[in-house]
Amino acid sequence: MSLLVDLSSSSLDPGYAEAAARRGDGPGGARPRPGPALALGVLAATLLIVIAAVQAHVRAPAAGRTRADLAASVTRQAHAVDALAHEVAGLRAAVGRLRDTELAGTATGAQLSARIRAEEIASGTAAVTGPGVEVTLGDAPGNGATGGGSTRNRVLDRDLQAVVNALWAAGAEAVAVDGQRLTASSAIRQAGDAILINFTPVSGPYRVQAVGDPVAIETAFAASATAGLMRSYSQLYGLRFDYSRETELRLPAAAEETLRYAHPVPSPTARGGHR
Amino acid sequence: MIVLLAVVAGVVSGLVLQPNVPLDLQPYLPIAVVAALDALFGGVRAWLEGIFDDKVFVVSFVGNVLVASLIVYLGDKLGVGGELSTGIVVVLGIRIFSNAAAIRRHLFRA
Repeated sequence: MSLLVDLSSSSLDPGYAEAAARRGDGPGGARPRPGPALALGVLAATLLIVIAAVQAHVRAPAAGRTRADLAASVTRQAHAVDALAHEVAGLRAAVGRLRDTELAGTATGAQLSARIRAEEIASGTAAVTGPGVEVTLGDAPGNGATGGGSTRNRVLDRDLQAVVNALWAAGAEAVAVDGQRLTASSAIRQAGDAILINFTPVSGPYRVQAVGDPVAIETAFAASATAGLMRSYSQLYGLRFDYSRETELRLPAAAEETLRYAHPVPSPTARGGHR
Repeated sequence: MIVLLAVVAGVVSGLVLQPNVPLDLQPYLPIAVVAALDALFGGVRAWLEGIFDDKVFVVSFVGNVLVASLIVYLGDKLGVGGELSTGIVVVLGIRIFSNAAAIRRHLFRA
């Protein structure tokens, strides 16, 4: 307590009393003429206070501005990425066309061209269209945006993985989720509240499109254990789960894989053919 | 008169120049302001009591600001910056209040 008492009883800088004693005039004496030092001190103090006020005033909306700027920049970059992806798709299609016209001249060339097409479709690097089945998965309604709490009424990455695997098993020739074509190296995984497919975040309701024989896929998928599980989830937790046959689905191409380590094994027949 | 001029000059130059405080110094600005207020109130009280001395005022002002900033800086380095800032605000706040009370007594005799 004595500290606080000291603090409030000797709140005036003792230097003033000492200086007054040195000058030899006690309290109540003649007030000294204010000098330039005083003006300088007052100037510095006022300046400091004004600077602090200006800073506080300037900084308050700056945080909000930074946030808005960041959000705008993210949107801009996302648009740029979309545009570039579109350009890549167009250029790749042009390359394919040029290659086909170049190869169409000879019989072996035409054969090669057809084989490249088939390989592209199988590897997911060519856009495809055809009949198939579309499965829709969605979070249960009334799911708060809090993200915490229960994940029972949300679609998880493993649900999507199971559905995709069931579609492959049912005979799908090409599968895409929300416009993200799945290839041999695609990953479907949860990152926080979002699901990433090919490292692109997608949001529900998730449309899983599978190109293939619609009747065969639908029959096999409907009978699969995954479909049974999803149906019971839908009854228990209100998840959205339905599927339908489609006469025409358009699946985009996946981004081209850059193979860094894998090299094709030189086939003996090809070598023999060249000789 | 000279004091009023200094106040006006400080406000005007602060508003006109709008100096950009470096990011590293920004955390110490509020503490420096509290220290400056303490020096100002002390100076006014000393002036009213007739023992004002401009050298003491300037030295106490600069010293207060520097020491307060230094303590907060040290606290930041040690991980107790917030606590030390609170301590400084409490100590200087008590001084400001009791100086303000003394000024009030001098001015209004109440």
